[in-house]
Amino acid sequence: MDLAEDVVQDSLIEAIKHWTYKGIPDNPSGWLFRVAKNKALNIINREKYKRQYSSDVAHLLQSEWTAGPAVNHLFSEKEILDDQLRMMFTCCHPSISPDSQVALILKTLCGFSIPEIAKAFLTNDENINKRLVRARQKIRESKIPFEIPPGKSSKSRLQTVLETIYLLFNEGYSASTGTDLIRYEVCEEAIRLAEIIAAHELIEEKSTIYALLALMQLNSSRFNARQDTEGNILTLEQQNRSLWDFALMKEGFINLDKSLPTNQISIYHILATISSYHCSAPGYGSTDWKSILTLYDRLVEIDNSPVALLNRAVALSKVEGAKIAIEELQKLQNIPSLKTYHLLYAVMAEFYIGMDQFGQAADQLQKAIELAPLDAERIFLQKKLANCNEKIFKGNVPFSNSHLSLGH
Amino acid sequence: MKDFLLILKTEGSVWTDLSPEQLQKHIENGGAYIGNLIKEGILKNANPIGKGSRLISESNGVLKDGPFNESKEVVAGYFHIVAKDMDEAVAIAKANPIFNDLPTKIEVHPMMAVQGI
Repeated sequence: MDLAEDVVQDSLIEAIKHWTYKGIPDNPSGWLFRVAKNKALNIINREKYKRQYSSDVAHLLQSEWTAGPAVNHLFSEKEILDDQLRMMFTCCHPSISPDSQVALILKTLCGFSIPEIAKAFLTNDENINKRLVRARQKIRESKIPFEIPPGKSSKSRLQTVLETIYLLFNEGYSASTGTDLIRYEVCEEAIRLAEIIAAHELIEEKSTIYALLALMQLNSSRFNARQDTEGNILTLEQQNRSLWDFALMKEGFINLDKSLPTNQISIYHILATISSYHCSAPGYGSTDWKSILTLYDRLVEIDNSPVALLNRAVALSKVEGAKIAIEELQKLQNIPSLKTYHLLYAVMAEFYIGMDQFGQAADQLQKAIELAPLDAERIFLQKKLANCNEKIFKGNVPFSNSHLSLGH
Repeated sequence: MKDFLLILKTEGSVWTDLSPEQLQKHIENGGAYIGNLIKEGILKNANPIGKGSRLISESNGVLKDGPFNESKEVVAGYFHIVAKDMDEAVAIAKANPIFNDLPTKIEVHPMMAVQGI
């Protein structure tokens, strides 16, 4: 079976071109064509790349008897949803790299242009183009079928799809620069795709999907409060909570409820619950850090990624104090993947700043700046470092080595 | 699943022998029938057959090609469908609403397609 993405879309466009140039045939049945053509053109203009055409039916567009019914069939709501789900499974095939999966989804399922994807990823068009070409090549060469995987394989494949959707969401949510409008759209699209899966009758195990949906909605509801008017990033503590999107937040809570009857707790369940604690706190000061720390304890049992470990340390600092959290981070420094992770040092610096130890904080920030991969992050950290140095110059804090070596 | 070729033969043509109202209804019913075959994954292909068919025949070692003599019966078109067996294919053919509109015959031929490709 051929993949829809190139072949089928082309054949539909070809059919319509043919109709357009050739005009309505002399024989009376021509008007059947016209009906089908106008309908198809209207819908295609509206939907653009938002959907794919399933290859089994595309050739039926070329017959006078079947063109009309085939168009109706292709554009029935259910078929559109089925196709999008099939496309998700195809794009998220394990043999395609995660980067390419995300680019492919944005292009084929969300209708983003290559420049838009490049902007969202802070990279250039050529780079995105390469990723797409590689992914399509892989799909052709590996003959990845355009289908919802049957039976048992669907469960593990679904996990990959959810991981990719979460990755997509985080691409939109976490980076500190790029066009805001596009980044927010990326988040919305991730939510939309998860909603399609959650609503689909062929997917049986829904608890994890609801949890992921809840997580993305609860986080998204704070999207607009995360920057001040000058575009500076605000921490949760600094955010104006009246800017939160409470309608979206409510949907998140509803989905979190739906996700709970389960005997298989996923990372999405835990992360969504943590997010819900932040959302339900009346203010930063009244956040229930104890419960959040317990949740992070459970999280690191199933996911000991650097981000999870660092976030746990933050929660630990709120419950046990910065000193204990620093000791914890110093232990984590021995883990190879964390040793070179700039955020470890950035978080450590935050703890020192919280204890007014600006010299120590400056040391850590210096390390973080050396390791940070993105310009935007370096600028953010350098600002912090400048603040620390200013505090040190006020004279009530002992100078640190790195401060002296910097010579200002 | 097996492949079947359904050949439709009608007396007269829907385009000339039906009133505009009947034609409208014919198109609606036919569209619904075909739409359902698509939805159920039964239909592989279907095409109407136009005017001007030719017939090639051999007689005494000579190939002749001449007009396809259609008396009052015309070959209206074909359906290529998949069905579990001949009985199911026959039932699918019987459901064609063309039977309400014109005197119709449908030939149901089992195709010897290679399975599993």
